[in-house]
Amino acid sequence: VSAVELLSSVSPGFAAAALRSATPLLWALLGETVVQRAGIVNLGTEGQMLVGAAAAFGITAHTGGPWLGLAGGALAGCALSLVHALLCVRYRGNQFASGLAVWLMGFGISGYVGAGFVGQSIEGFPPLSGSWLGRVPVARDLTPTVLLSFAAVVFCWVLVYRTRPGLALRAVGESVAAARIAGLRASWVQAGCIAFGGILSGVGGAALSIDYAQTWAEGMTKGRGLVAVGLVIVARWNPLLALPAALLFGASEALSLRLQSAGVTVSQHLLHMLPYVTSLVVFVAICTRRGTASGAPAGLRAVLDG
Amino acid sequence: MDDRRGCVKLAHTVALFVAAASLFFLAIGKAPIPMFHAMLDGSVGSGFALSETLVKASPIVLCALATALPAMAGLVSVGAEGQLFAGSITGTAFVLCSGDGFGPATLPLLLIAGAAGGAAYGALAGLLRARLRVNETLATLLLNYLTPLFVDYLVYGPWKDPNSLGWPSTVSFPDAARLPSYFDTRVHLGLFLGVSLVLVAAAAAKRTRLGLAAQLIKASPTLSERAGLSQRKAFVLLFALGGAAAGIAGIAEASVVEGRLQSGVGAGAGYAGFLVAFLSGGHLLRLLPFAFVVAALTAAGDNLQLVAGLPSSVVFVLEGLLFACALAASSRARHSGQQGDSM
Repeated sequence: VSAVELLSSVSPGFAAAALRSATPLLWALLGETVVQRAGIVNLGTEGQMLVGAAAAFGITAHTGGPWLGLAGGALAGCALSLVHALLCVRYRGNQFASGLAVWLMGFGISGYVGAGFVGQSIEGFPPLSGSWLGRVPVARDLTPTVLLSFAAVVFCWVLVYRTRPGLALRAVGESVAAARIAGLRASWVQAGCIAFGGILSGVGGAALSIDYAQTWAEGMTKGRGLVAVGLVIVARWNPLLALPAALLFGASEALSLRLQSAGVTVSQHLLHMLPYVTSLVVFVAICTRRGTASGAPAGLRAVLDG
Repeated sequence: MDDRRGCVKLAHTVALFVAAASLFFLAIGKAPIPMFHAMLDGSVGSGFALSETLVKASPIVLCALATALPAMAGLVSVGAEGQLFAGSITGTAFVLCSGDGFGPATLPLLLIAGAAGGAAYGALAGLLRARLRVNETLATLLLNYLTPLFVDYLVYGPWKDPNSLGWPSTVSFPDAARLPSYFDTRVHLGLFLGVSLVLVAAAAAKRTRLGLAAQLIKASPTLSERAGLSQRKAFVLLFALGGAAAGIAGIAEASVVEGRLQSGVGAGAGYAGFLVAFLSGGHLLRLLPFAFVVAALTAAGDNLQLVAGLPSSVVFVLEGLLFACALAASSRARHSGQQGDSM
């Protein structure tokens, strides 16, 4: 929250732009946090975001209902994530390989479905400036998916730290064997977490296509799903820290867009690199202190350091 | 026994893939048999199709090395894509800096320049892993987004050909800086470099100190430390060697396939290379047949665009399905193997 205050002290307009840009990533980041807490890395997040984005855009374009689109995106992301669950939980395949398979499939399927969407326009969510939030400085420039993502941050924190399923998934993430002894069905817990992550990454993709960009383009997530996998580690597997982590990307993207429109002489293509450079530098800086997997659930450490 | 299990696994993968691809074709309302026919036609059905498959195989086999070499020491690199672009940048820089001074040394120097760029970018990931203990898989995935954007910057900006009428690309490479093509096809030197590098790597893995060191590090980091091996040096070296191969792929794509550097040249070969390295399961020589298979799949996907009017993304669906089927099949092989051991 202090990061939000810092941004809004710079300029309320910039803070809103950073939050809007961070939102698709934040959804995926929260989902992947829960997945990694259960000891699984899912690079397929990128593909799940893409099918979520395509499904949401198609449904919104055909029915005119962005809420229906959002739900469709969630379902599509969830459905694709089940492939990852099948391959790496049921078949115990390599998690990185399985994630890449899911990514490729998601890229292909979304490109296939979305081929007809290129150039179409949709009507997204009505702006909040028309509602009672219209008088609140930063909030009036936000959209419903941004506000919902704040709720999702709190929801995920409560889920992970304060509920029975949360305890179960953390136990499984530490040690599948010990969790089994305690009577947990570890595989189902992990599969459930992957499906939950699928829903959230699908919503993230939907937020990107029907809310943030309001267009469809092949591969439009441009690595946001992969950045999310890295930023989970930056956020120390804590849903509350996911918001500032996502803002790192969002603020750099907002900054690069703002510099472009301000007519800076730096090439826009160099500015496009900014969010990725920021994410990479912060990722490296966090890992450098004690290694990528220090502080990670033990089961995850085996994956990341193995 | 190992070979027999490998064959069973392969048969499983193929059977699963045919089933999965059939389901996909049915789901999009196409009859599977004509689709498979078009795929075979477009990949191996004629001399031309075969040559196009080989053209696609060259960057894929080189990029497969970029994953397979670090994998010898137990590292999971997905960095070939970024290293390919790095090689295309440094190779093109060499061409643009040479002015008019082209001669017989141009080609070797061009390849060295491309290899150096890929190697440096690979070594960066290796250094991050070796020195700072940064997970190499996630680091390489993030690094993959930087070099393609930098290529965009160059071809839209300082390296843009002023006479290209707005098309973002460099000037055409002079003939002296183009890799030779053979047999009146587009099959070029890159393919032969890829095949030879795989053979060299396979021999070196068996005979050199680095080859054994990598195997020891993979088998047991503690043992290798006691044997006085520097894990760090091996990591950086393997990453750099793999990156050099991917860099050659990058400059070859720019030099001969496109004849200039432009946005997105060779894109996708890095990930296809990862798939090939995964399918090969640590056997370097198997990179060759699997690179051919994945290249054939890519060419087949292109033909589906022509024949059935499917969008280009169908290639990624097929690659993803093949990947998933291989994972499922290798798990079956493992489970039956465990049962065999316990009996």
